[in-house]
Amino acid sequence: MLSWLVKRLLMLVPVFLAVSVVIFSILHFIPGDPIDNLLKIGSSPEARAEVEARYGLDKPLPVQYGIWLGNVLTGDLGTAIVARRPVADLIAQALPHSLRLGGLALLFSTVVGVTLGVVAALLRDRWPDRAIMGGVLLGSTMPSFWLGLILILIFSVSLGWFPVSGARGWESLVLPVLTIGLGGTALVARITRVSMIEASGRDFVMLLHAKGLSPLRIQLRHVLRHALIPVVTILALRIGWILGGAVTVEVVFARPGLGTLLIKSLSQHDYPVVQACLLMLAMAVILGTLLGDILQALMDPRVRAALS
Amino acid sequence: MIAPLRALRRPQGAVAGLWLILVICAALFAPLLTPYAYDIQNLPNAYQPASAQHWLGTDEFGRDLLTRLIYGARTSLSVSATAISISVFCGMVLGASAAWFGGWLDRIVTMTVDLTWSFPEILIALILVAIIGPGTTGVMIAISVAYLAQFTRLTRAQIMTLKGETFIEAARSLGAGNAHLLFRHLLPNALAPVLVSAMLATGDAIILEATLGFFGLGAQPPVPSWGGMMSAGSALVFKAPWVIIFPGLAVAITVVAINLYGDALIAELDIRSRLRREA
Amino acid sequence: MTVSFRKSVLAASVSLAALLSAQALAAQEAVFAMSTNEVGAPTYNPIKATMLNTATGLLFDRLVSQAADLSYHPWLAESWEEAPDGMSWTFKLKQGVTFHNGEPFNAETVKAWLELFKTTEGENAYMAEAIASVEVLDDHTVKFVMSRPEPNLLYNLSSTFMGVVEPKSFAALGDNYGVTEVYGTGPYKLESFSIGQETVLVRNEDYTWGPEMAKNHGPAKVERLTFREIPEDSTAFLELKTGGVDFLLSVPADLMGEVQKEANLAVLTMAGQDVWYMPINVTKAPFDDIRVREAAAKAINQEEILAAVFGGVGAVADTFLISALPESHVSDGAKIKYDPARANALLDEAGWVMGANGVREKDGQPLKVSLWTQSDSIFRRLTEVVQAQLKAVGIEAEITTFDSSTIRDQYKTGEQQLAVRSYNWDNADIVDWFFGADRLGYPNVSMFNDPKAEELRAAAMTGSKNMEERIANFTAYHEYVLTQFPMAPIYQPVQAMAYNKDRIALPEKIDAPSFGAAAFLDLEVKE
Repeated sequence: MLSWLVKRLLMLVPVFLAVSVVIFSILHFIPGDPIDNLLKIGSSPEARAEVEARYGLDKPLPVQYGIWLGNVLTGDLGTAIVARRPVADLIAQALPHSLRLGGLALLFSTVVGVTLGVVAALLRDRWPDRAIMGGVLLGSTMPSFWLGLILILIFSVSLGWFPVSGARGWESLVLPVLTIGLGGTALVARITRVSMIEASGRDFVMLLHAKGLSPLRIQLRHVLRHALIPVVTILALRIGWILGGAVTVEVVFARPGLGTLLIKSLSQHDYPVVQACLLMLAMAVILGTLLGDILQALMDPRVRAALS
Repeated sequence: MIAPLRALRRPQGAVAGLWLILVICAALFAPLLTPYAYDIQNLPNAYQPASAQHWLGTDEFGRDLLTRLIYGARTSLSVSATAISISVFCGMVLGASAAWFGGWLDRIVTMTVDLTWSFPEILIALILVAIIGPGTTGVMIAISVAYLAQFTRLTRAQIMTLKGETFIEAARSLGAGNAHLLFRHLLPNALAPVLVSAMLATGDAIILEATLGFFGLGAQPPVPSWGGMMSAGSALVFKAPWVIIFPGLAVAITVVAINLYGDALIAELDIRSRLRREA
Repeated sequence: MTVSFRKSVLAASVSLAALLSAQALAAQEAVFAMSTNEVGAPTYNPIKATMLNTATGLLFDRLVSQAADLSYHPWLAESWEEAPDGMSWTFKLKQGVTFHNGEPFNAETVKAWLELFKTTEGENAYMAEAIASVEVLDDHTVKFVMSRPEPNLLYNLSSTFMGVVEPKSFAALGDNYGVTEVYGTGPYKLESFSIGQETVLVRNEDYTWGPEMAKNHGPAKVERLTFREIPEDSTAFLELKTGGVDFLLSVPADLMGEVQKEANLAVLTMAGQDVWYMPINVTKAPFDDIRVREAAAKAINQEEILAAVFGGVGAVADTFLISALPESHVSDGAKIKYDPARANALLDEAGWVMGANGVREKDGQPLKVSLWTQSDSIFRRLTEVVQAQLKAVGIEAEITTFDSSTIRDQYKTGEQQLAVRSYNWDNADIVDWFFGADRLGYPNVSMFNDPKAEELRAAAMTGSKNMEERIANFTAYHEYVLTQFPMAPIYQPVQAMAYNKDRIALPEKIDAPSFGAAAFLDLEVKE
């Protein structure tokens, strides 16, 4: 198990390097120059060169990449060109908000999705199943920014239950979590339902039935346990997807977070900030994949056996 | 009877299929169906709620919302469908070559695909639009790249399984060349699952297009797109909520229909297991 | 039973007490939504920043304050005198003023502060450019030695960009000044600043030196002010409506009707300082032909825009300057007004004949131009109307939308043809800023470079000995620019703010050109 884990961790190194190269180089294709924001109008070429040198933008790209990577690895994310402060400060300000939002949305998707999936599987092909699956499908096909605005109209403006925007207190988290979570719920519910149905057909379930255990108990104690393996794996793999959903939702609710920071700095061509945001999101994706693998290994007795 | 038609015999397939046919026809024959022009402003007539003259009301320029919704279907459907077609074509070429030739090509393709696959499509698209610039073309390219990994992966897996099948071995022993095998035997057999997943992806692409439109990056005014209409509507949400509600419903219902029809099609083609392997 | 009853009474009274104290606390606080065009200001450093928000004016006082009638009044300076030849100014400074960090405010600090404009890189050096040197006459008297007469000096000194910073901390903090810490003499101190999100200010308890137009000279009545940055006007309005914020520092005209519908909300309007206009790039064909420029300018129906886009609030613009400025009084012939007949005739004369599809043509080429705009919703809405109005005379304009910060870079390429823009300034020197030949691309989006205009500009900027001369020179410069049609004026809004009447009490009259320190000193939160 340990050696497997070490091997799995070592595999992350080339992935991380590849991601960092992509993130670093892609931004240099974006037209427009952030340096313009720093220069006085009508500045001389010398003044421009001086500013470029200060931000290290005068060196060849591979060198810039090397310096950047070295800095990143030592925790120095550079200085924001437009916001004129350490990128790390901006990230530190934004990250907790995004983690809270993403984490809660993930939790919501899992709890609600698994519950609905189980109910749908138990009542397979009867009306509750159809209603649930139809409902979650509709939930996942609504564009998240649209859903967010509609929720604001209903719950903030008409009912006055939750704040319209911002990130003050837990009340402000409810609607954004709901908006992102509903999209994820569909995925979780679908997978749970299908794997429950599939697992019910397995030999060991027949055996349990033959032993005379109550059907509901079999479903909830044994079948569900099996069915959860693909759910967990897919969820971990889709962490990036949850974060992607967070980007638009943060903008709609005018919440601080990686998403708003990324969109803003992307439009301002503030490379160092965009790079850092993408790097954070990429790390989340990579770690999610890793987590998925580990969880799968821990939960699946066959994998566990194969490893030891 | 061919599978897409057979899928219409299933009840959910029929309802979904009818809606899709309706939307596609509306998009194709927009000028014939709409009594108004999508771009002529009638400012004194702005912010009208639904009425006999304007079934869905008017927008902030007094333009008929239904007319714009129908023309918007044109933009949204054509952008998403074109983008996915490009993506499918490139994905099939990449995936098939990787699987067929193997070696370093396969390794590079697999690695790149794995990297981008786990990234949210919206992020890939946002960054690409920042590079290419806003507008319909930029959005189209961005969406096609965002979904490239999915189709490459799927095609590669299909070809990998088929490669070992006996009929391929047989054809090879009869002296069939690489190109012949790939284009006459392998790709046609891999086509069905790829096309079905392309159809489902078109649904996702419609949402993605709308999201980019919401950020103001899609079709430029006065050309309507569902996302662009919602973007304008988001500023009027308390004054004329219908401006944002209807395009959102159009997106949601269309994507639901695509999914339901897709499910029916999968059942008809009996390719569920082949798709799941790669989910 | 009794026990549980007593318990619950106790609990109720405890929570009631908590509720009451929370209310008492809330009474000392007010939440403001920053104007959307001030969202994202990266720093509170007035010497370096190109953009400063309303909160900046509460952190820093200025030597001179301005009343609603644009007259100048004492603030940190008690009195002043200009030499008859305009070559020097003497200022008497207020005594007993201290900065937030305890440093005294005196003649030495004024000298050190003004020197910062010369040593710090930034766009704002021109503000103090005419001041050659500062002499300290005594502890509270300074003399500015001028390099040329500057009739505009008092205006500059009253601007937020000339808020007096504390020079020692400014030097010590470097780039962090205005970001992590900031020290002025203003009625509020900075508690926290998170860029693009919110700024929290706390009352400066020592403050007693407010400008004379305020009834209350300090300390301010409200203990804590929170300024939230909400990028969308519609979101900000919903926050006001649902009680999330108490005060909107700007309400776009199209939302004012919505505010007035709500019983607990009120609108406050002040004279506007914005002008919306359509720059025309004079170097790009077909607009290198002055006839086409004039035609495009006169195709803009300002009255229709005022009524349809801005709900009739504000006024049309027919010159480049707000009508409160004397320099806006140009001859009637120079004013740019909607005249479709003239526009059509000019285009015919220039060889652009109407085509079958409603777009004019010349030598087989359609009259197709680009029209750039910003992604903010009000810009997009106005631009779509402008597009339709141009189409009415046969000009097909293709809209491209840019983010408000990206669009500047785009202007620098000089590729633009038409654009929709707005500026906020209440001094005639804005004509120099947007049409000076040394700033082609941005801010001179029109790429306007005309020898006669440059002559008039030099006279207006540096050749005026007193205010009268300056007004005459700027009027002449402004009038000439208008006759060359490098832009079409569209609209001048009023400054409109909205607030929750149940929470906020304002003085009857705010005697200032904008909602700044004077207004905040008198603002009260209702119990």
